[in-house]
Amino acid sequence: MDVGEVVSEFAAVALSIDHDGNGPRLRIEDLKTGHVGYLDALELETLAWLPEGALHPLLDPSLHRWRKPAAGGGTH
Amino acid sequence: MSTVDATIGWDRLIEHDRVHGSLYTDPAVYEAELERIWYRTWVFVGHVSEVPEPNDYVVKSIGPQPVIMSRDKQGEIHLLLNRCTHRANLVCDAARGNSSAFRCPYHGWTFSNTGRLLGYPFNSGYDGREAKRELGLGRVPRVEIYRGFVFGSFADDGPTLLEHLGDAREALDRLVALSPSGELDLSAGWLQHKVKANWKMLVENETDGYHPQFVHSSIFSVAKSGIGDLYGEESTALSRDLGNGHTENDLRPEFRRIDQPLGWFGTTPDRVPGYVAQLEAANGAEKARELMIDGSPHVMLFPNLFIAEIQLFVIQPLAVDETVQHVTAVQYKGSPDMNRRMLQQTIGSVGPAGFLLADDSEMYERNQRGVHARSPEWVVLKRGTHRERLDENGHVVGDATDEVPQRAIWKHYRSLMEAGS
Repeated sequence: MDVGEVVSEFAAVALSIDHDGNGPRLRIEDLKTGHVGYLDALELETLAWLPEGALHPLLDPSLHRWRKPAAGGGTH
Repeated sequence: MSTVDATIGWDRLIEHDRVHGSLYTDPAVYEAELERIWYRTWVFVGHVSEVPEPNDYVVKSIGPQPVIMSRDKQGEIHLLLNRCTHRANLVCDAARGNSSAFRCPYHGWTFSNTGRLLGYPFNSGYDGREAKRELGLGRVPRVEIYRGFVFGSFADDGPTLLEHLGDAREALDRLVALSPSGELDLSAGWLQHKVKANWKMLVENETDGYHPQFVHSSIFSVAKSGIGDLYGEESTALSRDLGNGHTENDLRPEFRRIDQPLGWFGTTPDRVPGYVAQLEAANGAEKARELMIDGSPHVMLFPNLFIAEIQLFVIQPLAVDETVQHVTAVQYKGSPDMNRRMLQQTIGSVGPAGFLLADDSEMYERNQRGVHARSPEWVVLKRGTHRERLDENGHVVGDATDEVPQRAIWKHYRSLMEAGS
């Protein structure tokens, strides 16, 4: 079930509810790259309760996405 | 004309009733103005209603300086420099948006909407000595808000905003008092008009009561407007020096003489019954009638905010001979019938096909071309010097068409320029 798109000058994602698993989850598609991620109900509830600034560490571009791959694959 | 060097002394260029033409044309004067006026005094930036929700932001300016006005998740308003601390790209491009963080499009440096550097891509390219704390976005060091109007000052210290506004803050009080909810909504959007003229041409013109019958005669005629009569020899309206470069065309004496509620707006109470009921409910019938008689202020807050009854103009200098006027309609929060009319009148007078600002813009550009003439070298501001007087508050006032406001603007301008010498 499509929820809609959330777009700013910095990012553009398409949101939908995915029912392929045993329970529903939010499907997030990065419209610039096609990369897809999922968030379940508990993860979303946790996000709703995050205090100010708690997401800021995750917004560091080097944290997971733009960084040198670790030896043996993956990221370090 | 630009034959006089500003370094010879501002008193040689600015006299009580005339100013030298080079003040409008000399690039060195413009550069000095940026440092001594635009980057020192209080400058209007935006209104809280433009960022109503947490993480809202709008792109603004202080003169040529690019500014982001953001509201963080706690509700606090920030004025940040729209300039990546890495290689100076503009961080925000959209006129408005909602985001807790901004990511520079050049190399992905990412900042919180409070200006803190959150990170950058491929951090192994740095040796770990980069102090994120020191690489946050630049800030306008002082931010103060009065009646929802957000002002910024690049000076670390100096007069407070209230000291800067002085008695002119009453103009903002009067403007807000006309909103039954006590709040304005300035989120209608901003039109931008660029003119090839010096910014001071615009500041002087905003409270020039001498020009309307000439420059705006066509729109007054087409609209069957009585506004032109407010600026005639028979008018009881006043021109006023409010101090600190703030000036006014006070039309209340005429509106009180005419004694027609909403006459200032060219309408009658029966056409906006919802607004009138709201205003009476908020203030009582007697006070509401006074408000509707007196109308909205016509005040120029130095150096860049012009309150033009139902519109606000923000003046942005970009070069010695290039200026942008940003214009929006005044909207009273929660008063749809009145707001609809104010928006329509704004579009009609200063919109893309509007007459009023087009008339003025033509004059600005003609003035700018004319002031380059080699002779005479001076701009004359003598009108009404023989009939200046003090009002009950000790402010210098003159007749409606007198050049009291222009002399007041230059007096303050000179004090600022001399203070920075």
